[in-house]
Amino acid sequence: MSLSQIQFAPILPLEVIFGIGAAGVAACWLQFRLLQRRLSRQRALGISLLRFGSVFLILLIAANPFWTEKKEVKIRPSLAVLLDTSPSMGLAGESGKSTRLEDAKNLLFGGSTPLLRTLTDRYEVRFFELNESLRPLQAGEIAQIKSGSQKGDFNEAVETLGGKNQLILLFTDGNMKGEAQKSSRLPLLAFPLGNQEDYRDILIRRVKAPPIAFRGKEVVIDAVIQAYGYRGLTVPVILKSGEKLLATKSVRLQGSSGEGDVSLSFTPEEIGQYTLSLSIPPQVGESLTANNKRDFSLKVVRDKIRVLMVSGSPSMNYRFLRTALKNDPAIDLLSFVILRMPSNILNVPVQEQSLIPFPVDTLFTKELKNFDLLIFDNFLYHPFFRTQYLGNIRDFVKEGGAFAFVGGSNFQGEGGYAGTPLEEILPTRWLGKESYRRTTPVPVRPSRAGMNHPITRFSADEPAQRNLWREMPPLDGFNPLESKNNGTVLLEGAEGGFWPILTVGSYGKGRVFVLATDDSWKWYMGMVAKDKEPYTYLRLIERLIRWVTKDPGLETVQIALPEKGVAVSKEVEFRVRTGSDEPKGKQREAVSLAVFNPQGVKIAAQLKATGQPDQQQGAFVPGIAGAYKIRVESRQGVTEEVLLIPDPLQEFDGSPNHDRLRQIASSVGGKVIMKGDDALREIEDMAGKMEKRFVEEKTKPFWENPYFLALIVALLTSEWYLRRRWGLI
Amino acid sequence: MISRRRFLSLGMKTAVSLAFFQARGLWAAVPPHFFFAQIHYRGGEWDPNPLSVKPMVEELELRTSIKALTQRRVTTLTDPDFFFYPFLYMAGKYEFDPLTGEEQRILRRFLTYGGFLLAEDSMGAKGFGFDRAFRREMEKIFPNHPLRRLPPDHSVYQSFYLIDSIGGRQKVNPFLEGITVENWTPVIYTQNDLAGAWAKDNFGKWVNPCVPGGEAQRASAFKAGINIIVYSLTSDYKKDVIHHPFIQKRQNL
Repeated sequence: MSLSQIQFAPILPLEVIFGIGAAGVAACWLQFRLLQRRLSRQRALGISLLRFGSVFLILLIAANPFWTEKKEVKIRPSLAVLLDTSPSMGLAGESGKSTRLEDAKNLLFGGSTPLLRTLTDRYEVRFFELNESLRPLQAGEIAQIKSGSQKGDFNEAVETLGGKNQLILLFTDGNMKGEAQKSSRLPLLAFPLGNQEDYRDILIRRVKAPPIAFRGKEVVIDAVIQAYGYRGLTVPVILKSGEKLLATKSVRLQGSSGEGDVSLSFTPEEIGQYTLSLSIPPQVGESLTANNKRDFSLKVVRDKIRVLMVSGSPSMNYRFLRTALKNDPAIDLLSFVILRMPSNILNVPVQEQSLIPFPVDTLFTKELKNFDLLIFDNFLYHPFFRTQYLGNIRDFVKEGGAFAFVGGSNFQGEGGYAGTPLEEILPTRWLGKESYRRTTPVPVRPSRAGMNHPITRFSADEPAQRNLWREMPPLDGFNPLESKNNGTVLLEGAEGGFWPILTVGSYGKGRVFVLATDDSWKWYMGMVAKDKEPYTYLRLIERLIRWVTKDPGLETVQIALPEKGVAVSKEVEFRVRTGSDEPKGKQREAVSLAVFNPQGVKIAAQLKATGQPDQQQGAFVPGIAGAYKIRVESRQGVTEEVLLIPDPLQEFDGSPNHDRLRQIASSVGGKVIMKGDDALREIEDMAGKMEKRFVEEKTKPFWENPYFLALIVALLTSEWYLRRRWGLI
Repeated sequence: MISRRRFLSLGMKTAVSLAFFQARGLWAAVPPHFFFAQIHYRGGEWDPNPLSVKPMVEELELRTSIKALTQRRVTTLTDPDFFFYPFLYMAGKYEFDPLTGEEQRILRRFLTYGGFLLAEDSMGAKGFGFDRAFRREMEKIFPNHPLRRLPPDHSVYQSFYLIDSIGGRQKVNPFLEGITVENWTPVIYTQNDLAGAWAKDNFGKWVNPCVPGGEAQRASAFKAGINIIVYSLTSDYKKDVIHHPFIQKRQNL
């Protein structure tokens, strides 16, 4: 402390202090003069000086002198040690003998003077694990951590660590999420792991495929192939559906990044949900082979419902059916009308005929599979057909095709279909030798099943539905039939009993319906005659076509799958819709749910109610990656959908990315510590810049000093003692 | 004892009844795919060729797969079964009484929603008689769709035979006229008297000569009749793509 450090903070105004001081000096002088009369001059002067000293010190207290003490303080820098535990950190490190994460641990713990110990001695060190999220670690936990299943996000980590730390030490291979960010000033020293130059792998980086394709229309699948360490190599890319090879193409891996683009195409022939795969055969020296394959799903639908209709002769039934089918833009109709029978006489040369040959051989052998629906409209087959072709029709339906018979006197009796393969697929059977019945007009009404079937339910209100059919004109003729066990009668004619007029059924994978009359066109003109809307007939035909061809729009139960965000071990939720036109208060449609894993094993799944009466929520947890079949069964039928749970390994790119790490580090004013660099010195240099210091100031008043008070007391005590000694008291 | 008069009277009644029920039974037992329903209108002469339907239907069944009834059905526009007739036929020579508003409405609704009408001017006088009356009524029923000559590529010229000229008892027009609404022609009209060429008496002789073309013109009238009937039952079937190469090839022969 020097005198210059002493300052005053008077507790009384200076004038008062000086006044008191002057009075004190005067009093001391007066005391000296009085004491001289009783004591010697020296003794009087001594007592007076003691008194003066006391007064001086008291005045000094009033002046309140103090001094300021200054002290410089240093703060230890706080370091965040960030260990990336992304999946790629589990791959081989630089030496190839240990993983990249183990290399990181060696950097921290290895050597005679472990880096970690030096750091904890000199700095405030906090530890974090960067995986799916940023997790604080205790120092003791570091040795046990393993690589995880998700990539870490560097940007998120910086955001969390910013403000609390001065420096980040990042141990990573650079294969993580995050970009260079100039906005952050949190410096970074990165320790790159893995060997970028020697890493060898081929992976399918991206697959661009439409989620829906149309049957018979070419589908193009675009893919980007990425190669590390195989630049210039030509590899085959194979497109498969299950084990079936669809297409293959070679791609040359070139360019600075070793990428190659490839487009493969194929034409789906069958509708359905498929799990396709693109793959590249494993190459010598590849670090990973699981990412040489990429699965994706493709739903093949029909662009139009292709209908082949064969009519036995020109008729009103044909014309109205044709009009109904032609008016539907979703239907592609090919029809053949038998304009003449072999017994008819055609007395003109060929150039005056418009008749074309009926290509039965082509149609019923090769081309049949290209149609969704075959309709026989009162068609008499035996003048044109061999029974073998009826067998082809049966097989067509068995494999998922649709068939309909609309008749007509050519359906039974003289039609001669009894005992043929066609009889097997129909949902009805003929009654003995009875042929087409044309007696009194037969009114038609919906059956109990027809009241609720999507084909014939035109109103949720049963009386309204019955009234609608009461309005319809009766039929002048019908085929007396009997429903088989697999048949569902939707419309019945009441004439001396109940006769199936419209019967639907299934055979194999396909569906069939029989409309046992060729007078249904009168349902249209009958309403025209009554000045009413005639569209019930058109809607009936439209619904029949859609139902029999399994058009999803007419399925009463529909499954809405999530479009993205599905993963192994993560609960998958989906919606099950069970029809929307149920009358209010009616019981919910009873549905059952079954989910099968990729191995075909049924797994646990739940179906829960939602707030909406026509919707339920299904859920299951996929244990493994692959295609899961979701099957919902209701009274109206079965609906199936396939959901692909992606395999994370297929999308996995394990390459070290030191270049990106360098970019990130330089963007925040940091650097990458390369092999051979003195890591500790770099840390010290960087941390030194970050070291924080400040000067601490302390104010100390004199009167707080006990010696000062003791001096006053000593002066007053000495005066008292001398006065007593010299007989003044 | 029953008197001879009473016996004959009962016999006659029984025969008439049987004939009536037989006719009814024929209708009821075999409702045909196709039959002529001829309009009996007021005024003019609604039935100039009463013997034309049977020969036409016989030719139709002989040459095509269509099953048809040889008996025509005579109807009025207010007939409750009117809307179920597959083929409406209207013929005449002279001007007929205007249709009532209700009759026009029924005919418009029938033709708009899928019905078909073949109309014939048996006299063949343009702008007179039946021709004038028919055009007048059609203008009222379809004010926005005038009667027009059907183009040579119309389906009616290709529905069964490939024809480029229309015959008949007379040859007023070598073409057909029609009212076309979108892709469907619900009204076809001719002044060639097709039915006059079809008509045969009970002894199998042609009732009318065909002038000036003779029997070739009659044959052409039958072809036109068959094409019109097939068109009424198949619409524009021959416009389907599958027919194009065949028809084109034959037309080039």
